[in-house]
Amino acid sequence: MVDEAREGLEGELLVPIERDPDVVTARQKGREMAVEAGLSGSDLTLIATAISEVARNILVYAGHGEIILRQLERNGRRGVCVIARDEGPGIQDIPLAMQDGYSTGRSLGLGLPGAKRLMDDFEIVSEVGKGVTVTMMKWRR
Amino acid sequence: MADDYARAERHLRDVAEYDVERRRRYVDLQPIDIAQIGELREAILNHLDAHVEAFFGYLAQYPEASGLFSRRNLLEDARRLKREHLIAMVGGEYGRPYVEQRVALGALYSKVRLDIRLFLGAFQALSRSIVNQIMALSPGDGPKGFQRSESLMKIVFFDIGIIMDVLIADREQTITLQQEAIRELSTPTLQVRDRLLIMPIIGVLDTHRARQLTEGLLNAIRANRAKVVVMDVTGVATVDSKVANHLLQTIAAAGLMGAEVIVTGLSAEVAQSLVTLGVDLTKLNAVGDLQGGLEEAERLLGYEVVKTRVQVARRPLD
Ligand SMILES: Nc1ncnc2c1ncn2[C@@H]1O[C@H](COP(=O)(O)OP(=O)(O)O)[C@@H](O)[C@H]1O
Ligand SMILES: [Mg+2]
Repeated sequence: MVDEAREGLEGELLVPIERDPDVVTARQKGREMAVEAGLSGSDLTLIATAISEVARNILVYAGHGEIILRQLERNGRRGVCVIARDEGPGIQDIPLAMQDGYSTGRSLGLGLPGAKRLMDDFEIVSEVGKGVTVTMMKWRR
Repeated sequence: MADDYARAERHLRDVAEYDVERRRRYVDLQPIDIAQIGELREAILNHLDAHVEAFFGYLAQYPEASGLFSRRNLLEDARRLKREHLIAMVGGEYGRPYVEQRVALGALYSKVRLDIRLFLGAFQALSRSIVNQIMALSPGDGPKGFQRSESLMKIVFFDIGIIMDVLIADREQTITLQQEAIRELSTPTLQVRDRLLIMPIIGVLDTHRARQLTEGLLNAIRANRAKVVVMDVTGVATVDSKVANHLLQTIAAAGLMGAEVIVTGLSAEVAQSLVTLGVDLTKLNAVGDLQGGLEEAERLLGYEVVKTRVQVARRPLD
């Protein structure tokens, strides 16, 4: 799926995630890019919320990382791709981390499973000690 | 002076070695330029005072620059640093120490709030004074004078780049502080009547602001012995699970202090996102709009809103 995302059209943006305000920047930029890709209405808020979740995870669990935003087109259908990646400690048990309510940070444990529900496509890969990459997409209805 | 150095220090972090190298590349400083400047060294050192005077004489004409002239010790520092600047300018070494000297001078300009436009004017007067002297050194050989001036101008622009960065960085720092202040002001808690508070939240709700908000709200509840709080989130575009959790905890804490929180203006999009995330909103007392929220608040407080022919009057139920 990452490769597919790489084929994205013009319009790619990288937002470094290093401090709290970067989370806000990332979701604002994500909203803007979604508008450019023709998405609208509540989808914009759903995307912004999903970006906020994965960006927050970067800060909390990995310290720093980046969000890459891309416009997509597949079979004449447009959409946006969000890649969140870091080189932090990684996740040992991904199925566990994807469970509602599971958290090692004493928070709600809804970020990853919630982001998956908010978006159309969701993929997470991780290697312990090497970091996490979350790739997610949302398509125009 | 202590805070001067603190400032300079902060800016210095931005001028790493690679940055100095990049700055030299940007102005296209070549070994030939350094050689040309070397030929000028003695002559310019002989006229140091006149060049320093060109800079400060220019500034002295403008009352806007009084921040510098009204502080004798700062003015003396500035003159000394400017002299050192000119010596270094023809010294042939444009590495980190050179940049550090420029940063220190820039920090001083920033401290006296020297207007950027005035600084540029003064710097232009200074370079004109130097260029005039360079041209006079090779009478009858205009091209030679011109080439030497061109080499020196590269250093002039190298310098301007550094001073600009210092002045801009300071301005950005000021803006950041102001934004902080605005943020605090923008989550006011208003007492609309006895025991009833309104807290309008406009704009971005991030974790930092959410923390401020909690503190502000709990203090206001205590100070006003509030029973009901209407928290209006109209215009809040995004709420993620962390901020939502924070708000829910704040509401629970308010409850422990004896105040009920009514949330108004939650947009359909935000509500949908929170439900999709799986955030439990069942404990949230949400009412559509602010007006509805106020009516609910008055009901909770035991008042009744009665419409009369002339006006909306409020009287206690019992
Ligand atoms: N980028 C990341 N790096 C390392 N671990 C992560 C990362 N993102 C998520 N995790 C792990 O997955 C768990 C679940 O994440 P999430 O669903 O966002 O819930 P929460 O952040 O509330 O714990 C986290 O508690 C953490 O252990
Ligand atoms: Mg999370």
